Amino acid sequence: MLSAAQPARFTPTRKKPSIWLLLPVLLLVGLSLLPLLYVGTKAWQAGWSEALHLLWRPYVFGLMRNTLLLMVGVTLTCALVGLSLAWLLERSNLAGRRLWGVVLCLPFAVPAFVSSFTWVSLSASFEGLGGAILVMSLSKYPLIFLPVAATLRNLDPALEESARTLGQNRWGVFFKITLPLLWPSLLAGSLLIALHMLVEFGALSIIGLQTFTTAIYQQFELEFSNANAAMLSAVLLVMCLSLLWLELKVRGKGRHIRIGQGAARHAEQVNLGKWSLPGQLYCLALAVIGSGIPLGMLAYWLIKGSSAAFPLAEIGEALFSSLSLALGGAALCLVLAVPVGLLVVRYKGPLAIWAERLPYLLHALPGLVIALALVYFALHYVPALYQTSALLLIAYALLFLPLAQAPIRTALNKAAPQLEEAARTLGATSFTAFCRVTLPIIFPALGAAFALVFLDAMKELTATLLLSPTGLNTLATQVWSHTSNIEFAAAAPYAALLILVSGLPVYLLTTRMYLSR
Amino acid sequence: MMLRNTQLATFLLRSLSIATLGLTLLAPAAYAADPVTLTLYNGQHKEVGDNLAAAFEAKTGIHVNVRKGSSNQLASQIMEEGDRSPADVFYAEESPPLNSLGEQGFLAKADDSTLQALPKEYVAANGTWIGVTARTRVVAFNPKKISEDQLPKSVLDFADPQWQGKIGFVPTSGAFQEQAVAIIKLHGRDAAEEWLTGLRAFGKTYTNNMVALKAVENGEVAAVLVNNYYWFALQREKGQLDSKLHYFTDGDAGGLITVSSAGVIKASKHPKEAQQLLAYMASEEGQRVITNTTAEYPMRKGMVSERGLKPFEELQPPKVTPADLGNAEEALDLERDVGLL
Repeated sequence: MLSAAQPARFTPTRKKPSIWLLLPVLLLVGLSLLPLLYVGTKAWQAGWSEALHLLWRPYVFGLMRNTLLLMVGVTLTCALVGLSLAWLLERSNLAGRRLWGVVLCLPFAVPAFVSSFTWVSLSASFEGLGGAILVMSLSKYPLIFLPVAATLRNLDPALEESARTLGQNRWGVFFKITLPLLWPSLLAGSLLIALHMLVEFGALSIIGLQTFTTAIYQQFELEFSNANAAMLSAVLLVMCLSLLWLELKVRGKGRHIRIGQGAARHAEQVNLGKWSLPGQLYCLALAVIGSGIPLGMLAYWLIKGSSAAFPLAEIGEALFSSLSLALGGAALCLVLAVPVGLLVVRYKGPLAIWAERLPYLLHALPGLVIALALVYFALHYVPALYQTSALLLIAYALLFLPLAQAPIRTALNKAAPQLEEAARTLGATSFTAFCRVTLPIIFPALGAAFALVFLDAMKELTATLLLSPTGLNTLATQVWSHTSNIEFAAAAPYAALLILVSGLPVYLLTTRMYLSR
Repeated sequence: MMLRNTQLATFLLRSLSIATLGLTLLAPAAYAADPVTLTLYNGQHKEVGDNLAAAFEAKTGIHVNVRKGSSNQLASQIMEEGDRSPADVFYAEESPPLNSLGEQGFLAKADDSTLQALPKEYVAANGTWIGVTARTRVVAFNPKKISEDQLPKSVLDFADPQWQGKIGFVPTSGAFQEQAVAIIKLHGRDAAEEWLTGLRAFGKTYTNNMVALKAVENGEVAAVLVNNYYWFALQREKGQLDSKLHYFTDGDAGGLITVSSAGVIKASKHPKEAQQLLAYMASEEGQRVITNTTAEYPMRKGMVSERGLKPFEELQPPKVTPADLGNAEEALDLERDVGLL
């Protein structure tokens, strides 16, 4: 998430940005419009009445029903779990709060399609809508728990105390004061989860729930690039962009402003008394089903699988492909994110506004639809890119640029343009000035951005499935293809490697960001 | 300190750009460097394509890159790619994808010697593709859930309320679509529509045949419509199976024989080597590699399977040939009409 407020902005001294800044931004804006263009082209080719006919039928209504039920079910469950957990760990005297905080974020270490495979391998009864809501909630609730817990910790307790002196009981205080204060972080987390549910593919295809995303992939498997897939993509795009619009609307409102710093202190802790046992059991149950079962099942299949053949060469190859693609993707993201960040921070004008909104737009685009659009346009207009890793890296850049944007922008805000100008008066060219003055300042942020993109790209599944060059397998695609044939033991080593190389670092990074303050 | 940071930053920037450039340029270049590398679009099972490619490379020294996808997807992909298709040979689990490619002129004619090694009814009339192996549609059932004599005489009878929740099928599977076309040919479009509507209402759908078979094996569903070789694949993995196979008789559509098939892409840049691969698939050695990987019936004249299958001549399939099945488009339309897809 980006932080919105940037108070002291430097007055722009140059009105016109150089072409090297404009080019990447224009390129990205163009690329991010490709999915819309793809849907439009395909609808045009099919004819609008045929397009409507493809959409207005019971099959699509069923997809809509599944998608909405999943979205609402998972978001509500996550909100309840995240909120209660945040309160329990921040405001009560529950024993072992710190430890629980660390343990209950472990789902961050397990990609959703890995945890769903472990559940399905436990019993087929976890297939379908109920199972999907359970598995997805368990892997996504930290997205609400962490930001809400952080907000709770930093709340000025004076407000709540005043309400109590004015005669409110604890529940009254919670609903009238605390909840409204938590509302922005709760809502932001919920919208993020809702968006994730719209675009999730791997986990849902393993659980066997048909949503728009899995149906689009099915259409791709039936007919490669066809009007059916494009029309379903259109619905998915509309849903994603509506959520984006909702998020932008909500983000602007409901900000609570505190005047004056006040004394920094923590809120009084509620003594759980006889409720401490249920509290402990609640945390324990969450830990067991949230990470105990997935990690335990994975260990089981790993042990079972290692007794059979252990294809070291194939595993090594997949690891190498994953690493090199993720490194390339992260590098490309940095190369694009720096100019976008510079444009946002140092210039004004319509393009800068576009650049500012770009990460939000990109974040709302489903990876599967991006991949479909890229396949189509590469094949018809840029055949040199078709089935190359370059095309896959472009997809990664589109998917993961938002992750790189946040740290880089914050850092660029601190790098005063006057420093670069001083360097230029001393005879440096603008590129040298940037490299020798600004780059060292934003260097740590570049490192952070690189790590974030790299770790997420390691786990990428959908775009990789559609775009990877012939014969190339990654850890994620291996997990998926073995799981879709129910070869759980064969999938286990890839899944374990994925968690080790990408999941654990993500977990450490994320929890450190929120918990150890 | 500042200087060191600057140097480090410049170095990092340089190495990043080099890495990006290298990665983007290297992958396609690596393929172009080798003089003869074939690309096989493989819609057949992954291990089948991989083992075939490895055996062919061991014999001829020609490397084969395998792109795995579903047969339908790869066929449409080859059409969309047209002249630009990177594929040299296409190997599908079914005949309809190759049939439609052949009819629309995307395939080159197979060498005569390759065509002559195989029975006439299992190669394309225009010689653009060959049937590689044969398989039969069956019902896999779990005797703990249902006894064999309770199974119906005809596959059409599964579209009945008494099978509510007991019969599983895979609507996206190409072989299922072929079976639907066979029913259209044998009993007419209305009967096929009724059958699909009934299955949709009373049956359980699965994402692929292996998932369906394992559901029977675990007793989640009493019976499923699959191809014979899945059962042998699972048996090889597990040793002993609870589930059993039931073969329909008297020419019922439930016992349809379908063929996996292959053809050389017209746009291939290595037509000679591509024909060599196709010939290898029809050769005794190639057929052995394939049928030992998957328990299908070898197509080459005079060969029999070594996997303990019910002998091919004992099967009583309906009289529906790959030519009758055509491109199976009617099945896809019908499945969309009844809301299965």
